[in-house]
Amino acid sequence: MDMNGEHRIAASRETVWTALNDEDVLRACIPGCEELNKTSETGFHAIVVQKIGPVKARFEGEVELTNIKAPESYTIQGEGKGGVAGFAKGGADVTLAEEAGETLLAYTVHATVGGKLAQLGSRLIDSTARKLAGKFFDNFQAHLNPEPAAETA
Amino acid sequence: MSDGIGARVKRKEDKRFITGKGKYTDDIRMENQAYAAFVRSPHAHAKVTGIDASAAEAMDGVIAVLNGAQLTGDGIGNIITGWAITSKDGSPMNIGAWSALATEKVRYVGDAVAVVIAETQAQARLAAEAVDVDYEELAPSVSTAKTLQDNQPLVHDEIANNLCFDWEIGDEAKTDAALSGAAHITEIELTNNRLSPNAMEPRAAIAVFDSAEDHYTLYTTSQNPHVARLVLSAFYNVAPEHKLRVIAPDVGGGFGSKIYIYPEEITCLWASMKTGRSVKWTADRSEAFMTDAHGRDHVTKARMGFDDTGKIVGFKVDTIANIGAYASLFATATPTYLYGTLLSGQYDIPAIYGNVKAVYTNTVPVDAYRGAGRPEATYLIERIVEKAAREMGRDVADLRRTNFIRAFPYQTQVLLAYDSGDFDTVLDMAQKAADVAGFPARKAEAASRGKLRGLGYSCFIEACGLAPSAAAGSLGAGVGLWESAEVRVNPVGTIEILTGTHSHGQGHETTFCQLASDRFGIPVENVSIVHGDTDKVQFGMGTYGSRSGPVGMSAVMKALDKVEAKVKKIVAHSLEASEDDIVIEGGEAKVAGTDKKMAWHEIGLAAYMAHNLPEGMEPGLKETSFFDPVNFSFPSGTFICEVEVDPETGVTQIVQFVAADDFGTIINPMIVEGQVHGGVTQGIGQALLEGVVYDDEGQLLTGSYMDYTMPRADDVPSYVIGHGCTPSPNNPLGLKGCGEAGAIGAPPAVINAIVDAIGTENIEMPATPQRVWAAIQATQMPVAAE
Amino acid sequence: MTNVSMTVNGKAVSRDIPDTTLLSDFLREELRLTGTHVGCDTSQCGACVVHVDGKAVKACTALAVSLEGAAVTTIEGIANGGLHPMQTAFNDHHGLQCGFCTPGMIMAGIDIVNRYKAQGRSLSEEAIRDELEGNICRCTGYHNIVKAIEDAAAKM
Repeated sequence: MDMNGEHRIAASRETVWTALNDEDVLRACIPGCEELNKTSETGFHAIVVQKIGPVKARFEGEVELTNIKAPESYTIQGEGKGGVAGFAKGGADVTLAEEAGETLLAYTVHATVGGKLAQLGSRLIDSTARKLAGKFFDNFQAHLNPEPAAETA
Repeated sequence: MSDGIGARVKRKEDKRFITGKGKYTDDIRMENQAYAAFVRSPHAHAKVTGIDASAAEAMDGVIAVLNGAQLTGDGIGNIITGWAITSKDGSPMNIGAWSALATEKVRYVGDAVAVVIAETQAQARLAAEAVDVDYEELAPSVSTAKTLQDNQPLVHDEIANNLCFDWEIGDEAKTDAALSGAAHITEIELTNNRLSPNAMEPRAAIAVFDSAEDHYTLYTTSQNPHVARLVLSAFYNVAPEHKLRVIAPDVGGGFGSKIYIYPEEITCLWASMKTGRSVKWTADRSEAFMTDAHGRDHVTKARMGFDDTGKIVGFKVDTIANIGAYASLFATATPTYLYGTLLSGQYDIPAIYGNVKAVYTNTVPVDAYRGAGRPEATYLIERIVEKAAREMGRDVADLRRTNFIRAFPYQTQVLLAYDSGDFDTVLDMAQKAADVAGFPARKAEAASRGKLRGLGYSCFIEACGLAPSAAAGSLGAGVGLWESAEVRVNPVGTIEILTGTHSHGQGHETTFCQLASDRFGIPVENVSIVHGDTDKVQFGMGTYGSRSGPVGMSAVMKALDKVEAKVKKIVAHSLEASEDDIVIEGGEAKVAGTDKKMAWHEIGLAAYMAHNLPEGMEPGLKETSFFDPVNFSFPSGTFICEVEVDPETGVTQIVQFVAADDFGTIINPMIVEGQVHGGVTQGIGQALLEGVVYDDEGQLLTGSYMDYTMPRADDVPSYVIGHGCTPSPNNPLGLKGCGEAGAIGAPPAVINAIVDAIGTENIEMPATPQRVWAAIQATQMPVAAE
Repeated sequence: MTNVSMTVNGKAVSRDIPDTTLLSDFLREELRLTGTHVGCDTSQCGACVVHVDGKAVKACTALAVSLEGAAVTTIEGIANGGLHPMQTAFNDHHGLQCGFCTPGMIMAGIDIVNRYKAQGRSLSEEAIRDELEGNICRCTGYHNIVKAIEDAAAKM
């Protein structure tokens, strides 16, 4: 599954960058996130509960940040095991651009699912991923700036 | 006699099924029963670097968590393939090791790495989720067409290019020469789509270990319990045969998928011994899609040459056959001796050459599925013959007639010698039933509604009742292919027939009884069948390859011959007549030309009372036979399919399907027609609906009935059936076998009809509306830009 | 655990069961009525069709505890001693082979005929095929199942 998008966020690039590296912010914004703890300077341990089609699973795994070019871009990569539901893994290249005091966040995602998720939910992965990405950015936006700003995704 | 051969006797076995009293494996509950749940790989290809079962072991109800190292440590042997194939360069096939529980590497999504045994099924499944397996993922090789390429990952590290074998049949030089001199050459490239068998009853097993006797009992969903016992004993070292009883109770369909001895049954037996508990496992449908052997999956290029009269001069075939991650029981025989040997079809072809490369991929094993090799051969031949007819401007039926074999026996260029057939008569019968003459008018009428009508043929021949044992053995078979029968006449005259075949829908409990009824003139109610239990029936090869009739019933006939001979002696002695004058009919034995007779029950009683038997005769009335046929049998037929395609949506509707066959003698037309209905529907499923899809990562995307399209009642029509009859000379009844013909013959008839309707050959199975629509679009001239 | 009481095949039953127990498991494992079969895990195949308060329901889609007070009829309970006309028709027309989908087919068939009769509609072959959309058979190709239901409809 490949997906990309852009979101305009009404905050400075520094603020957005800091938030994107803040475990508390990420925990609050990632849909279904039950746990997210920093395990190293660039690593997190995460537990996320998701429902994809008929499969509901608790994914547990490690998230790693690489290619860090503060405050412009990083790659966030992770893999979660969901027990009999299978696994999900993937990465997103995230770039932040300054634009008139606001920040334009762009991302490209490549993700794959395996096991039962692929067998039962593969048709639904794209729409679910889009929904989750949308929800994350809504949450993120709301967290940084309670006033909603224009979205250009 | 109304219950005899040829009668439409209603099925004796139906009562328990229509009242919900059938006893399938999952319906059985043992004392002291625990449940197994398997921990399966979510990856297509990975190293197993660690298994942490500590969390699972601590969970409620968990009795044990067992893994592959323990299994192999206990001496349980690797899973075998049953037919040794030699490559064209003389080298033996390359077999990758297959342990019931993977040890170092997993090779397909669903490969089992551990098993949890727990008090309840729910507890076992929950704990299986908690087993933490560390995988080091490896790139998979998934594509049938590409897995041989140099840059592909290796499914088995030691097997270069993922090649199991590179086999050939026929004469390449002769075929090349014939093709180079041909007036016309037709070429085709096609894929035979991968299918999931989908017997409605998922696989299940209950293993019961008796430590006092060191004895095992396995209840399982098997088409061939004796072969299961043999293999479990001789190769997997579970227990010696006399310490292992295998029972296949009511089995809810097989279609090939329940021939094999799978990892789960082996593991349950071993786990029963390890835990001292009866261990039950029942697959859910997701597991069935992941782990039941799939069928078909060929990629083929072929060339057929014709002279200027339309006579075929040569046929050259190049096939890659996917066998999946491991070589399953019949996986190597299916694309060779059940495919390459059928490449002559119904046609007199003087030069044939077939090359088959069997390849490994990171997918579930592929093995025999209803038809097994013969559908792949038939699809190829019948597509290329119709394509050739269109290219040469010949009528598709007429070109076939130009090439029909008419003299029998006929020795093909690919090993087999056909025993009998009358292809012209059956084709005539099908054309008449399909009202081919009226087709142009129907096509015009459809066109007036904006619809495209097409007519497609399939003239197929197949080989059933694999035989004889010695010939099969010389070609690499790992077992004999005979069948056994025992006929027991009880003192009251009722009869039990013990057979080594197994009925899982085929109606043996009725048709086998008809044989005794026919022979002695007693009602079928007084005859019963015993099958599916290795403690009751001495040995048998089971049911597959449409063999139960031509081989299994023939064994019954031989045993009945012996019973009849003894009965005549007893009666002749009792009535002081000559054996030659004894006539058995209507439930009596009479002395011809007199009013002297004995009723059937009096004969049984006489045999067991033994008060007045001929000098030297042993008491009792029980006879056994082992029947080993001298040749295969060769069912054939012509199917004609008429479709209507909606060019706007690509939806194909089958408006008529005619199946005219030649199965030789028919014991019960009602049951034979039922076999054709079901087989044709599976063939239509392959042609229009079904296809297993793995993505590039080896993930199974068609893992449920939401994504794998099974034929439903509204996808198929009611069928028109006709029977021709040229009895097989190779067995006492003249039977040919009817179980697979529908699935073998139907796919090309459907696709040829679509090709005829839409005017392009560029259509692959399954011909989904999207594919048909796209194929139609591709034939349209591009519209010039404004 | 929750207590659930219902009537199954005319008999009152009451059990303490986990809340997650499906009706199909309740029938098969608690009551040992194994005529109701389970052929898939996505409610597609219809082998588990039973009647709940007179209507066809896939037993794998219903939680047993949600059926407090309901009247459930399974394949074991459609005839008193003899055979229901639908059962007879399946035998007469060779509407079954392996028998695994058969209980669901018969229960669905009875429901189809009852509904059409109640609505005063005639039951054509096309309608039967359409109505059987929720039941999969791998053996018969449906040909004889359709004939059996047509025949039973005339006798019910």
